[in-house]
Amino acid sequence: MLKVRNLKKRFGGLQALRGIDLDVPARAILGVIGMNGSGKTTMLNCINGIYRADSGSIELDGQPLAGRPIHEVAALGIGRTFQVPRVFQHMTLLDNMDVAQVASQASDAERNEQSAYWLDKVGLLALRYNYAEELSGGQQKLVELARIMVARPKLILLDEPFAGVNPQLALQLINLIAEIPVQHDCSVVLVSHDLTSIYQLSHHIVVMNEGAILTQGSADTVRSDPAVIEAYLGA
Amino acid sequence: MNALLIQGLLNGLILGAIYGLVGLGLNIIYGVLRVVNFAHGEFLVLGAYFAWVMLSVFGINPFIALPLAFIAFFAVGYGLYFLLVPRLARSDDPETSSLLLMFGVSIALGAAMLLVFDADARTLDVPVEPVFLTFGEIVLPTIRLIALGIAVALVAVLAWFLYRTQVGKALRAFIMNRDAVSLVGINAKRLSAFAFGLGIGLAAATGVIVSMVFPSFSPFMGNDYTLIGFVIIVLGGLGHPVGALLGALIYGITEQVAVVYLNPSMATALGFSLMIAVIFVRPSGLLGQRQLS
Repeated sequence: MLKVRNLKKRFGGLQALRGIDLDVPARAILGVIGMNGSGKTTMLNCINGIYRADSGSIELDGQPLAGRPIHEVAALGIGRTFQVPRVFQHMTLLDNMDVAQVASQASDAERNEQSAYWLDKVGLLALRYNYAEELSGGQQKLVELARIMVARPKLILLDEPFAGVNPQLALQLINLIAEIPVQHDCSVVLVSHDLTSIYQLSHHIVVMNEGAILTQGSADTVRSDPAVIEAYLGA
Repeated sequence: MNALLIQGLLNGLILGAIYGLVGLGLNIIYGVLRVVNFAHGEFLVLGAYFAWVMLSVFGINPFIALPLAFIAFFAVGYGLYFLLVPRLARSDDPETSSLLLMFGVSIALGAAMLLVFDADARTLDVPVEPVFLTFGEIVLPTIRLIALGIAVALVAVLAWFLYRTQVGKALRAFIMNRDAVSLVGINAKRLSAFAFGLGIGLAAATGVIVSMVFPSFSPFMGNDYTLIGFVIIVLGGLGHPVGALLGALIYGITEQVAVVYLNPSMATALGFSLMIAVIFVRPSGLLGQRQLS
C-alpha cells in the first residue's frame, strides 16, 4: 500500500524530517504519535503533496507520489483531513459531498447515493440541506471525513480527528474509523495526541521525535518502550 | 407613482440586469483567481465588435452572434489564463500584479481595437418591430425588453450552472476555500482557466447585448464598463456572484431614477456616492463576507 523511504524535509535551519521510513499495509490503521513539533503533520503534508520533500520516496501501490501536485495525489486515492476542518462553509453538506466527486465517473444517482450513505454513516443525513457553517467544529470534522470517504480513497490521513470534539462525537468517530479498513478497503494513518484512541484503534504505532521515528510496534510494545516513556510520556 | 418614475425604474431594471452580467463575470474571475480584471470592459467592447463583424461581414444576426461570442471568447479566456495568470503566482504581491497586468492588457486591447476598427463609433442595426412598446404613458424600446429577457435568461443559466452542476459547485467551493478543492482531487489550474474563460465569455456576450441596446460603441468605452463593474462588485460584495446582481440592480435603478429628477451627470455621481456610502457602512459589500474563508 503506502511505502515511504528516507523522507527528508528541511525548513531553513530546522530539519523537520530526518529520513522517515514508513509502511502502511492494506486495510490497516497506523497510529502516529509524538510531541508537538515532532514532524507528524509535516510527514502527512509531504505524503499528500502539500509540501515537496527534499529527498526520499513515497509510493502508493507502487506509484511514486513525491513531486506530484495535491490534486493528483488525491486522485490516486489519498484523502486527508485536518485538525481545523477545511469544509466548504457556505455550501450545504450535500454540495460538500458533490464537490468531492467531481472527478468521479459515477452517474448522478450513484453519486447521490454515495453522498447520502456517508452522511448517514457520520450521523448527519438529517442535516444534509444545512450549510456547513451551521455545524459545530466536531460535526464539521465528521463532514470532512465523509467528504474524503465519498471519493472511495485507498488511504486516508487523519490529522488530530479527535481534537476539540465532544466525547459523544469522538466515540462516533472512533467507531467509524475502526470499521473503515475492513468495510471500505481503505488504510488509515491516524495522527493524534489522544493516546487512548490511538491504542484502541491502531494495528501498528509509530512514535516520532524531533523529525525521526523513535520506535514503532504494537500498542503494548510502544507503551512499554523506555525511550518512549522518557521522550513522550514523560513518566 | 408617476409614469416618469416607473419609466426610470424599468430602465434601471433593464440596465441593472445588463450591468449584473458585467459584475458577475468580474466577480467570478476575482472570486476564483483573485485577479482584478481591469480589461473586463475591453473584452465587453470586443464582444460588441464581434457582433458588428458577424452582422456586417457575415450577415449573422446578433441573437445568433451572442452564443458564438460566448464560445469564442470563452476559448480566448481559457487560453489567455495559461499565458498570463500562472506567472502572477511567482510575484510577491499577486493581486496588485494582476491589477497592473490586466491594466496593461486593457490598454493593449483598446489600442488594438483602435487600430483595427478606427476611432469612429459603430452602430449595430438590429431590426426589431415594433421599435417601441407603449404601456399607457410608459414607452419602452422593444430591443431593451428583449435584452432584459436575454440578460435574465443568462443569469438564470449561470445560476443553474453554479448551483446545480458539479463544475459550478466546484467553482463556488474554490471561492470559499482554494486549498480544499485540490485536496478533493480537483485540478485548480484547469478550474481557474475555466473561470477565466467563463468571465471573459460572459463579458463578450454582454458586449453583444450592449451593442443592441445602446446607440453606439467605440474602442474608448471599455474603461467605463470596467469602472461600472467595479462599482457593482464593491456594492454587492467582492467575489460574491449573487452580490454582483444585487449591486447591479441597485446601481442601475439609482442611476436611472436619478436621471428622471436630476441632471444626468449627477445621476452617475449618485451611483458612485452610493458605493462610497456602502464602503463606509459595510466595507465587505452588501452580501460580502467580512473575510472570505
